[in-house]
Parts: sequence; structure tokens; C-alpha cells
Amino acid sequence: METTLAQHIVTDLPQVTALGIIIKAIIILAVISAIAGFGTYIERKVLAFMQRRLGPMHVGPFGLLQIAADGIKLFTKEDIIPQNANKFIFMIAPIITAATAFIALSSVPVFPDFTIPEFIPLLGGVFVPSIASDLNIGILFVLGMMAAGLYGPLLAGMSQANKWGIIGAARTAVQFLSYEVVTGLSILAPIMLVGSLSFVDFNNYQQEGVLSWMIWQQPVAFVLFLIAGFAETNRTPFDLLEHEAEVVSGYATEYSGMRWGMFFIGEYANMITISIIASIVFLGGYDSASMFGWLTIMLKIAFFFFLMLWVRAAWPHVRPDQLMWLCWKVLMPLALVNILITAIVMMV
Amino acid sequence: MYELIAFYLFSALIIGLFLVTVMSKNILYAMTSLAAGMVLISGFFFTLGADFLGVVQLIVYVGAIMALYSFAMMFFDATKDIKEKNTSSALVFLLGGMSALVLVLIFVGLNQANLAHPDAITALYPMTEGVGNAQDVGMVLFTKYLVPFEVAAVMLLVAMIAGIILAGKKMDDSLTEDLGADEEIMIVKDKK
Amino acid sequence: MSLEQFKNRNVGIHTYKTLDVGTPPNTGMEKFTQVVTRAVKGELFVGLWVVMREMINTLVKGDVHTVKYPFEKMPISPRYRAIHDMLRLLESGNYRCIGCGLCEKICISNCISMDTRYDEEQRKEVSEYTINFGRCIFCGYCAEVCPELAIVHGPRYENASEQRAGYSLFEDMLTPIDKLNLQQEYDGFGAVSPNADENITQTPLAY
Repeated sequence: METTLAQHIVTDLPQVTALGIIIKAIIILAVISAIAGFGTYIERKVLAFMQRRLGPMHVGPFGLLQIAADGIKLFTKEDIIPQNANKFIFMIAPIITAATAFIALSSVPVFPDFTIPEFIPLLGGVFVPSIASDLNIGILFVLGMMAAGLYGPLLAGMSQANKWGIIGAARTAVQFLSYEVVTGLSILAPIMLVGSLSFVDFNNYQQEGVLSWMIWQQPVAFVLFLIAGFAETNRTPFDLLEHEAEVVSGYATEYSGMRWGMFFIGEYANMITISIIASIVFLGGYDSASMFGWLTIMLKIAFFFFLMLWVRAAWPHVRPDQLMWLCWKVLMPLALVNILITAIVMMV
Repeated sequence: MYELIAFYLFSALIIGLFLVTVMSKNILYAMTSLAAGMVLISGFFFTLGADFLGVVQLIVYVGAIMALYSFAMMFFDATKDIKEKNTSSALVFLLGGMSALVLVLIFVGLNQANLAHPDAITALYPMTEGVGNAQDVGMVLFTKYLVPFEVAAVMLLVAMIAGIILAGKKMDDSLTEDLGADEEIMIVKDKK
Repeated sequence: MSLEQFKNRNVGIHTYKTLDVGTPPNTGMEKFTQVVTRAVKGELFVGLWVVMREMINTLVKGDVHTVKYPFEKMPISPRYRAIHDMLRLLESGNYRCIGCGLCEKICISNCISMDTRYDEEQRKEVSEYTINFGRCIFCGYCAEVCPELAIVHGPRYENASEQRAGYSLFEDMLTPIDKLNLQQEYDGFGAVSPNADENITQTPLAY
């Protein structure tokens, strides 16, 4: 039944051309980097309000132009490469983080599909798809690509000839080994229920109102995935890689200017990706039938983004050994039990 | 045409990166190029339409195995070149060249045979239309290759148990808490 | 009172409250129950609610603790010793300084230098008066010793400058004649602080 649904959708849409995909890629790059920059502003504001401060106020109305000021600063700052560092690796490490974050976004549905109007020269009539590359194993690709993104911190830490950097790199490996199993296992139970790895199928599975959302069927998987997602994006309870109070700035200690900024564009893009996955897999995704379907998913994504900032304001962070303990001794058995129960229920 | 461009691009990049892996004296370069090569190999799977295998290549080789390499990396100074002990480079060169030659000859032979009978090339398990990649792989894995699959699972289980036992010998000693230290610095509270 | 208690100079500890944090878990089962209770009791959500409450208070009630410093300043204590002011007599508008030179004499960092002369009515007047704020340690002796309450410490505390030595002339520190009505009488150095009543505690007998 699902295959007929998928075919139906495929035949319904206009032809996807290479030009359309290139335009889509440019849109994703531009918009997500802009949102990532705006995300830093939102993060500073939300954290400030939660700590009874005002946050950035002086550049522009309510400090809105702070992003521009930060951007100018990052772009014009001197790009320092330490003397004993492995220069080539040091230079490409931030690019790995940023690039993998955006590659992961290539198989995630971002923004609705549309056709460029005919009156625009050159590009008129080109159909721009919702997903840049509609793999039928989208979820696995995104998770795999985000895992590859950890090479950025790892190589950055090891190439910079700095003890803090080495500790940051070691923590990257520790963190990766901890959460990766939980991410995979927690999302396996919803995959079993839907019977597909494609985001479109996930979305179509939950189209019968709020009660059909996956979160009601798989609450444990939802919580586990959120926890693993926080670890995956280095958000606060698990920001071991660059925790200022412990390892000066971890893997980013020696970085400055745009290379440092690229790590953060990557981190914010990853936050958006995790938010999108969580909204599509567990919170019903977008409603493709109605006009405001895209608005609902934007709200869901915004909620998850806000949750990450909220948690950062509220909770302290854990030690690396506590993270390992949590992931391997608590979350992984929970995920396995969840899968078992799901399988038994599906069989009966 | 896109496939051809992608194929030659990926091939050139992969060969170049793996050459760096073999030739480089810097362990960081070697590891980085190995990881990059692994990522690009998954590109081949994607161009062939085997999305699932491509992603598995990404997750397993790039994620899991390279994480282990990176742990090994922690024992080296990543910024220094290593000195290799090469007792007879001529022998290494000879053996390496020979095996490369044999591989090339095998593929040339296969290619010649295939050119003679182009129709003879058929997939043992062709892709089913309308079914996802994962389902195809699952069908083959759980019918024809069930026994090797289960044997591999048992092997991994054996390795896991062995690992747990190796690590478990010292599990009672905590690495983070020194119980003796607590007594030394214990503050004697005054009794009220 | 025993001698031991008398010698306990660490008076602050008597006001400490000891929290009942319980005993740390030892056995595996105890650890397990601790984890489960903490996970189920929702302690984490209390933390989430606290910051959310603060955010709502900030946004709705405007309960912000930020002082936008260059534009608004925190009130400082009248006892604060900042840049000096020279006061005038309210009745005549003449400066209070009688040129006695006590401040110059008592200044322990030698930063005040003054010169006086007799005017035509044989009254002493100040011809030169400078304070080198690169040397001044703001000890307040000059204000304390002044018999006429002429030199006092004002509330101006922004004294960053480009050079180490910064001289202030008599005229700069003198209250402008047109702002005479705004001149505050100085209850500063040695005066009680506004919240002195709250700060009074019983002196421990051990002292």
C-alpha cells in the first residue's frame, strides 16, 4: 500500500531537473546559513531573558543587526594558524563540519516545492523540489552524514598542537561512541512501524490528525531520540567538546575568524536538521494537503530549536564518563526494550 | 553523462586519497585521506542506485570504524612525521607491484570476457521495481545469505562478550573515584 | 564558655545551614532506585520551569536586572570615595577653601600640590591647586582633614584616561557657579551608610 502511495506522489509532481536541484541547493545554503546566523541572535536573546538580562540591544532595533556586526567581525578577523599545527588539516577541519551539516540537509524536506514563474528569464518554469535529493533511505543518510560531521572537531582537535584541542578531540570520539548507538536504536522502532526509511512515508503515516502522531505510539523512542539528538549537536547537557569551564574551548581553542564561525554554522545547521527530523518522525511533520502545512512544521521546528536553548539555560552539563554511563547503561537497554515491545505488538 | 562524470571524478579522488593514505608519513594526513576515501566510495553506491549500501558504507566505515582509528590516533603525536622502518624497500615494491598487476589482469580478463558476451552480464538479484533499496537487501540477506548473516552475528557477539570480559576484570576499581583520598581530606566536623 | 569555644575565631560558620542531602547510594540497587526516582520525579522539569518563569517575568513584567551602564548608572553610596569636588559657600558663592594647606600636607601619595598668596585685602586665596589622579589613591584623608568641608569626594567614578598622569585643576573640581543650587552637602567620608541599621549585628563575644 505504501509503495502505491509513493508512486502516486512521484507521478503527481513535475519533472525534477538538475537545474532545479542546483537552485534548491543554493536556497538551502543561503537560507539555512542565514537562519544559523539568526539562531545565534535568538540564542543570546532567549538565554538573556531566562537569566533576567536583556541580551544584545545596541546594534539596530532590539539588537537585530547584531548578526551583521558579528558577521563583519568574523569575516575581517585575522585567520590565525598556530605555528606547530598541521596546517592543511587545521584549515579544512571547519569546512568538514559545515559541509557535512549542509549535505545532511540535502535529503531532508526543507521548504515547500514550487515552480519558478515563467516570466523570469533563464530560470522560468523550473520545478524546485522540496527535498534536494529524495533518497528512499533519507533518515539513515542524514544520520550517517551527521556522524561524518564529527570529523571536523576530531581533526581540528588533533591538528592544532594544543592540549585542550587534543582533549576536545578525545571527547569527540567518546561522545560519538556514546550517542550513536542510541540514535540508531531509538529511531528504529518508528521505522519498524512505518516500514520505510523515507521522510515522505513518515509524513504520510501521521496525516490523520494529532492523535496519529508517532509520539503517542513511541514516547520512549521520542525521549531517547531527543537525548541522543542533544548529544549529536553538542548542546548543553552534553556539550563536552568545547565546555569553557573544563577545556578552554576544546577543539576550537586555536581557531579564530571565519574558520571558527564555520564550526558554529555547522552546529546550528545540525540543530535545525535534528529539529526537522524530530518534527517529521515524531510530531506529524508537514500537512501536505492543507495550505498551512508548512507553517505547522515551521512551528514544530521552532519549538525544538527553542527547547535546545531552554535546556541550555536550565540544566548543568554532564561529565564524559556520565554521558557514556547514561548512553550505554540506561538509554541503550531502554531502546532495546522499546524495540522488543514494538516488535511483539506488531507481531500480535 | 552525469554518472560518467561522477564515476571518473570519484575514481580519481579515491585513488588519489588512498595513495596519500599509503604514502604519507604524517598519521593525521593518512587518517584524514582514508576517511575521505571511504566517504567517496559511498558515492559509487549512490551513483549505482544502491542507496542503502551507500549509507551503510557511510555509517559503518566513516562512523564506527574510523572512530576506533581515531582512538588509536590518540597514542601518536599527530603533528609529527613518523619514521618508518623499511628493511628492504625493493621487496615491498616488488610484492606490491605484483599484486596490483595481478588484480589489474584479473579485471582486464573479466572485461574481455564480458565484451565478448555483453548479454551474459545479469544481476543475480535484480532490483525490484517499486520496492525500496532496504527491502531488496533484506530479502536477499534473510533468504539466501541467512546462514552467513547469523554466523557474522554470532561472531560479533563473541567479540562483544570477550570485550566485556577483558574490560570487566577491573570494573570494580573506579577510575574516577579514589576512595582512599576521601579519608585523607576528610574534614573532622565539630560535634555540637 | 570553654577556652576552645573562645578561641574559635571562625564566627561565620555558626550561621551555616546544613542541608539534608541524604547518603550517597552504595549498592547497585540503591543507585538504580536513585536514577529511577530522579527520572520519574521530574526534577529536571522543575529546572525548566524556573527559567521559563524568569523569561515570562522578564518579557511580561519587565523584570530585568540589566543596568544599561553608559545611559543609566547604579546609585552609589554617599561614602564612596571618587574624584574630588571643591565646594562653594552657599551664601556668597565663594569657594570654601581657605588655603590652609592641610590637605597637601596630609596627602600620603603626594598628589595634591597647591600655591597660595595674599590678595589685596590680605586674605589668603588659592592661586594654584592641582590633584594628580595618576598618583591619588583615594584614601580620603584630604577630605577628612579639611576644616571647612571644602574638598570632598564626589560621585564621579569614571576616571579612565589615555595617560597615567591626569591632573585636575581647582576650577575643574569647583562647583560651577550657575549650578550652586544643585550643590549637595557632603555627608560622605565617615558618615553612616543609608542601610546602616540593617548592617548592625551583635559583635561576637569571642572578639
